[in-house]
Amino acid sequence: MLNSKTIRRFAGLASLSLLLAACSSGGTDSEASGEINIFLIPSPSSTSIQSFIPAFEEETGIKVNVSETPYGEAHQKQLLSYQQKAGAYDVAQFDNSFLKPYCQAQAMMPLDAYLSDSTEYDLADFGQSQQDYGKCNGETLGLTLSTEPMIQWYRTDIYKELGLKPATTWDEYYNNAMKVQAAGHGGQIIGFGPNVSWWWMTMVWSFGGQLYDDALNPTVDSKEAIDATNFLKKLMTVSPKGAATANSDEVTSKFLGEDIGAMINYSGYYGSVLDKTINKNEGKIGTAPMPMGSVDITHLAGWNIGIPKDAKNPNAAWKFLEYVLGKTNAKAYLESGAAAIGRRSITTDADLLAKFPYLAQLEIPSSSRIERYPQIAVWPEFEVAAIDAVTQVLNGKSDSKKALTALNEKLKPILAKEPKK
Amino acid sequence: MPKSMKLTRPIGQFTIGAWLLLAVTVLIPIFYGIYISFLDIKLSSFLPPQFVGLDNYVAAFKAPETWSTLKITLAMMILGMLVQIPLGMALALALHRNLKGSKIFSSILITPMLLTPVAVGLTFRFMFDTDLGIINWVLESIGIEKINWLGQQTTGILAIILVDSWQSVPFVMLLLVAALGSISPQLYEAASIDGATARQTFWMITLPLITPTLLVVVMIKIMDFLKLFDTLFMLTRGGPGNETTTLGLWTYKTGFIFLEFSRAAALGVLIMIITAPVYFLWRRSTKEVR
Repeated sequence: MLNSKTIRRFAGLASLSLLLAACSSGGTDSEASGEINIFLIPSPSSTSIQSFIPAFEEETGIKVNVSETPYGEAHQKQLLSYQQKAGAYDVAQFDNSFLKPYCQAQAMMPLDAYLSDSTEYDLADFGQSQQDYGKCNGETLGLTLSTEPMIQWYRTDIYKELGLKPATTWDEYYNNAMKVQAAGHGGQIIGFGPNVSWWWMTMVWSFGGQLYDDALNPTVDSKEAIDATNFLKKLMTVSPKGAATANSDEVTSKFLGEDIGAMINYSGYYGSVLDKTINKNEGKIGTAPMPMGSVDITHLAGWNIGIPKDAKNPNAAWKFLEYVLGKTNAKAYLESGAAAIGRRSITTDADLLAKFPYLAQLEIPSSSRIERYPQIAVWPEFEVAAIDAVTQVLNGKSDSKKALTALNEKLKPILAKEPKK
Repeated sequence: MPKSMKLTRPIGQFTIGAWLLLAVTVLIPIFYGIYISFLDIKLSSFLPPQFVGLDNYVAAFKAPETWSTLKITLAMMILGMLVQIPLGMALALALHRNLKGSKIFSSILITPMLLTPVAVGLTFRFMFDTDLGIINWVLESIGIEKINWLGQQTTGILAIILVDSWQSVPFVMLLLVAALGSISPQLYEAASIDGATARQTFWMITLPLITPTLLVVVMIKIMDFLKLFDTLFMLTRGGPGNETTTLGLWTYKTGFIFLEFSRAAALGVLIMIITAPVYFLWRRSTKEVR
């Protein structure tokens, strides 16, 4: 028979257990109340996502907490969070160049099960290149948050005045720029500054080269890469002087704010065209596909967004993604100022095309080979080394062959550090 | 118990708070930094860190960037001090003479010191812009061709030194004004009675007496240049390429761009080793000032 002391002890322990259980069920409580934490990186896409939150909260009762972190530290913060398995975020925006490191670390939740069940998201509304954009090892780890191919931008008034047409080849592009420059305007602009790697790798691919082979041996000293680098240097002669130090944002603001004939840049910058404080050439901006080299390639960039594997409330997170990026709100999402997502129902919509003519450039023909940011974990170190070498060429301190041969050697130990699986 | 122990015990109790604060904010991070420099921590790798011995140090010594960025750091340091110290001293001497308007002049001169380096860097980046910058506009208006300030190594370093000097010269000036103020006027009177010229007075009285302060200034400036970051980051980000990248910025790139924390820690330790003699010299020179 139990005495009263034992009963009291038992009752005390039971109360303590109940109390502990109540405290430790924070995650379940959070799920029940439907609260999610989303990690965004300041950008037009992030601003648009946030504009949908009040309506989403009202419709679903799920509370959305937003945390915004600047690009320069966003991925570092995400990596730290994923390493600690802290479950701090239910949704995370990330750059496509981080897809591979996240994949290797198994940091993101595969979304394929959600995608196959979702008629609202409707994966079939995307072209194959878009469906593959967030895939790693056959699994979709991120949805496309923006579709930003590198395209040709030109000043319709200057081109009309000089009887020029948007270039279809790089030679034509250079000749157009020469004519525009001879007429007293800036010929063309690309960024020869801290982001020169973006244009350089585009040229290398377009001229038929590769940055590395399948066995991860660097191939930047190939004839194609040397020709591409020489062409990049040639383009400097038809660019305004300030292009030498311009980053991608400055390239855009110079093209839209100054008197320059053409620009090669990501389509995602179209938001700046609509911004009258930046665009001093309103109604005079045309877009066309990027000129072709010996190979037809499309340099495709853009944000991804996904659900971290340690998310506490993945179902609510998916509900949010489906709501913001699904078919129903697709038009409203674009019109809220975001960089477009390459849904077919959007890129072929006549009304939207009239308003955003650049959408036509997001329809990437299947004949064009898609090239993305190199999907390697050592890309940041690779990129800094490449920028250094290309800058030596552009500044005339070295010739392309010498600089790229040295770069190729330098990249060997860097690529050797890449995890094999 | 010995008498001396009794005396020291309360002192130890009073300083324990300061020691704890120092340990948490300085000592633990330093020792942790040294510790991780012997591991292979990469932020992009989720594998458990391995002990790699001196590998990170060997890699740092072998990397050409370590030496090229150290060379750039030293070049900036020497050129910067050649500009800032004589200029600071000239301004201090001018202010020390208490001419009319000195107070307003010194207030205006101090203003750059009050500004955030990031804001200064960003403002000057626009001013140095090749196409739209006011500096090139002025140059063009007097018939000089546009200069690609931030797009070449020489002009880039020059621009960084100019901006840093704009912010740092007032600091040099303030310290030297204080040092000049501590010199007894009787010495100058005696020199004047003895018929010393202004140049002789400067070389024989002023300079020797402000030398300890000058040494402090030099040491502080060396440490400032070794950790120069914000202005440089905003102006050139170490570009074009790595041509204006200092050792400090290279350490940042290694840690936060390449996500190689252990390699960056090894570089940080190297910077600490380079700075250590400067620190001890600084300690000695401050003792002399006292």
